[in-house]
This record gives sequence, C-alpha cells and structure tokens, in this order.
Amino acid sequence: MKIISVENVNKTFGRVHAVCDLSFEVEEGTCFGLLGPNGAGKTTMMKMIYGRSGRDAGDGGAIRVFGYDPARDELAIKYLSGVVPQENNLDDELNVLQNLIIYSKFYGLPGGVARERINGLLEFLELSEKAESRIRELSGGMQRRLVIVRALLNHPKLLILDEPTTGLDPQVRHLIWDKLRQLRAQGTTILLTTHYMEEAFQICDTVLIMDKGRKVLEDNPRELLRENIEAYVLEVPITNGTAMPAIQETGLPGGVRLDRGEGTLRFYAEDIDRLKGVVDKLSGNQYYIRQSTLEDVFLKATGRALNERQ
Amino acid sequence: MKGSNPIAYPSLIQRLFSVWYRHVRVYTKNLLSNGLPPFLEPLLFLMGVGLGLGRYIDETMDGMPYIDFLGTGLLVTAAMFTAAYECTFGTFIRMEFEKVYDGMLAAPITVNNLIVGEIIWAGTKGFFFTFAVMCVLIAFGIIQLPAGLLTPFVGFLTGMMFATLSLLVTSFVRTINHFNFFLTGIISPMFFFSGVVFPVSNLPPAVRLVAEIVPLTHAVRLSRAVCASNYTPALLGSVAYIVIFTAIVGALAIRRLRGRLTG
Repeated sequence: MKIISVENVNKTFGRVHAVCDLSFEVEEGTCFGLLGPNGAGKTTMMKMIYGRSGRDAGDGGAIRVFGYDPARDELAIKYLSGVVPQENNLDDELNVLQNLIIYSKFYGLPGGVARERINGLLEFLELSEKAESRIRELSGGMQRRLVIVRALLNHPKLLILDEPTTGLDPQVRHLIWDKLRQLRAQGTTILLTTHYMEEAFQICDTVLIMDKGRKVLEDNPRELLRENIEAYVLEVPITNGTAMPAIQETGLPGGVRLDRGEGTLRFYAEDIDRLKGVVDKLSGNQYYIRQSTLEDVFLKATGRALNERQ
Repeated sequence: MKGSNPIAYPSLIQRLFSVWYRHVRVYTKNLLSNGLPPFLEPLLFLMGVGLGLGRYIDETMDGMPYIDFLGTGLLVTAAMFTAAYECTFGTFIRMEFEKVYDGMLAAPITVNNLIVGEIIWAGTKGFFFTFAVMCVLIAFGIIQLPAGLLTPFVGFLTGMMFATLSLLVTSFVRTINHFNFFLTGIISPMFFFSGVVFPVSNLPPAVRLVAEIVPLTHAVRLSRAVCASNYTPALLGSVAYIVIFTAIVGALAIRRLRGRLTG
C-alpha cells in the first residue's frame, strides 16, 4: 500500500522555485530517502507532506498521505506521523521527562499511558538513565535521540526525519540507524532527508536524489550504484607543486572515465585492472583505489561545483 | 483507510489546552524568578507614590485619592505589559530562535490552534499579574473585598487584547530589535495617556480623542468600575471595544502568522 503519494508538486518562494514538478511514492513499511545538497528542496518537500508548508495551489499538483490531503487534513496526518525536525528545539528549562509529557498532551495521551510509553521509548533509545536530566546536560547525540523519542510518542505509522544524524559521532549514527531499521521491521514507514550517502545506503530502500528542486535519480541505492557509476575509482590528489600526471584524457585506456575535480583527479572504471593500468602511468603521484559509493553517483548527478543555494 | 476508520486526533479544546499547558509548564519552572516580580513591582510603585509623590497631590482624581486612582489603573497596565512582552519577544524567540513552534507544529496542532493558545496564555499571564497587583492593593486597603476579586478577570481580558495587538506586530517583525519601536513608541505612551496616571477628561480634546481610541483606556475604565462595583450602561461600550478589538486584531494576527509559519 502507498503511504505517501506525491504528484507533480511545486513550491515557489517569491521567485525561488524550491520544488519543481516532483513526483514519488512511498510504500508502507519501507524507508525512503530524499538526498540532495543544501538548498535542493528536501526540507521543503518534507514539510509539505505533513502540512507544515503549503504546496503551490492550482497547478494540478497533489499530495496524499494515508489517503489524506495535507492541505485539508493536516491534523489526521500529523496524528498518524512522528516528525523529527532539523533542529532539536527541546525546552531547555525542562528535564527530559517534562519535555516528553508536554508532547504527550499534544497527542491527547492519558497520563498513565504517556508514562508507560515514555519509559518504553527511553529504554528503546537507551536514554532511561537520563529521564531526570536537564536538556543542557545532554550531549548532542542524546538530544537527537530524545527528539526521536518525542516523535515516537504516538506510535506513528509514518516517521519523518529531517537530517536525523547530521553532526553526530559515528557511534550515535550507527545506533540511530539500527533503531530506524528496527522500526521499519516493525512496519513503520520512514521518510528521511540526508546528505550523507552512507546513511542513504545503510537504511533506505529507495533513494531520490534531488537537485535544485528537481528529481535527478530515484532507485534502490544498490541499483543506483550499479546503473549510474563505474564500480571502482582511482583517486589522485593534485596539490600545488605536485606534478600533473602525464596521462591525458586522450591517452586514457578504454573503459576509463576521468573526472577532473578541484584538487583531485578521479578515474572511474568497471574493471579494476584498467585502473591499475592507469596507476602504472602516473608520474609518482600518490593514489588510492576504492569501490565507488553513492557519493560518486551523487556528485556525478548534481555536479561538483557549489551552487548559489549551498 | 480513510472513512472507515476516522482518525481520533485530539479535540479543539484538548489542542488549545495542550498549547496552554506547555507555556504554563515552562513558565512555572522558574517560579521564584517569574512569580515574585509581579508582586514586588506594584509594591514598590505604590510605596514610592504613597510615601513620596502622593504627599504633593491633594486633589482627588475622578473622585478618588491619588494612590487609589493610580493603583486601580496599575491593575491593568501590569496585564498589558506582560502580554505585550510575552507576545513580542517571547513569541519571536519561540518562533525564530528556539524553533519551539517547529516542534509543536509537527504534532497534531494547527497554526491557528498555536496562536489562539498563545493568546489564551497571555490572558492567563494577565490574570496572574493583575492578581498580584490586586493582592498589594488589598494589603494597602485601596480596593475592597469581595469586589476586588473580580479584577483578575479584567486582567485576563486585557492580556488577551494586548496579546492580539502584539502578535500582529510580531507578524511583521524580522529583527528582534524592532520591537523597541512598538514597546517604547506605543505601549509606554499608552501607559501615560490612557487615564492610568491622570484622568483623560482634563486633556485637550484632540488628545482625548486619541485616548478614546487606544485599547488601554477601556481596560482601565473596566478595572475601576469593577473595583467600585459601579456598573453603568456606558461601561458596555468599553466591554464591547475590548471584545471587538480582540476578535478583529486576533483574526488579523492569526492570518498573518499563518502565512509566515506555513510559507
């Protein structure tokens, strides 16, 4: 069953076209990732889904979430969903428990039920010992987990996360990914935005790469890799003073593609042996051969240069 | 899914209550620093006037000794100031700096619910601040029981009225310092020209007209009438003013803030 369906949606702020003619669908029980550079329109798209931001009207665009239109039935959608906004926005004056009790009122949870759920969710996100702590005493990772607890208070069928792990250390990121996978296994549908390729690769069933408000690519992360980028990369850093490798684009062996980035040359090939052939022709430069990642797809799709919105 | 199983999200009353509850919990967290000044301020003011300034003012104002005249006016200015600060700086900080609204609006709360909740909360603060002044006035023997016990309700209406005006201003403000124009340019002058410090009946006709138009004058009238249990038909005009002002300015503020918060 489709939990979210977005058809030809646009959003303009003045003259800025933040989201252009975007369409996608999210299946129940899957994790869907919106991936893109800053300013790509990810957060705007996400806010339109839970009715926080209005889409452009009268252009034939439509959004359905659980069958509801967020422009008309935002309360039903918000009641069935949990949202983790980009910023933590916890109430600093209050402690962990008090923060959560305030939100339990927003969902109309009776006191006893609220306490039980809060205890269970604090345990789930490994925060039980912090129940009485003040927000300022929590690390960034703990605050982020607390916001996730807050979003889970009403046992949402859809969990929406805006950059859930930005700025967190690797341990916390892995913990959060693990919890999100558990939630998905229990049937929760997940929609998230991220600019970490690793995150998209680790937890998303489907990734939609956005750039300047438009869809660039959409597929399963492994398929995206297989279909859009060569399997291996040879990276050669070029700093001032190091000799440019003699190899030129014209002299490249067949099946090797060269991408001249700022400060780095990247040679892509399906066959690792061909890259080894390139290595032999380097004039003593440092080099590094690795498997290509979603990041390579992303940079290929959205371009390496910064745009004016980043 | 839709239709067969309607979503039982909280009712309007529950939603407004939950917004109000959030503000109460955050405010009462620092009970001493938030709760004591409302009592101290009128105490210091009246002591200063009673011991100092009052000795030089022999004339009665609107038939009252000066300290009574001023005291019954302070009942509502306390509500005005707290609501004005709450719904300018307070609202702006919640909206732009702390991003509190981003979290609240992710829960089943509409922007309208959120803003109406803010207005009711500002009314509650008005109630409390007027209550504090009332306690001091009772201690000074300026207002009598039980009539004086009704004054916090006037404070509630005053708080709501100034909340709507302040929220409307907030909807236009992009930089927090701009609130100074509103607070020192509009709210403070109102304190002096609305019959709180001296009666408006003695002002030149043009200034009197302005005094009739601004909201505080009507709140002060209601406050004094309640203190004296002196209900006249003319008072209905002030009550109507407060109700209509709150409704119209409130609707405008909600509309503009909805545009800003859902843009």
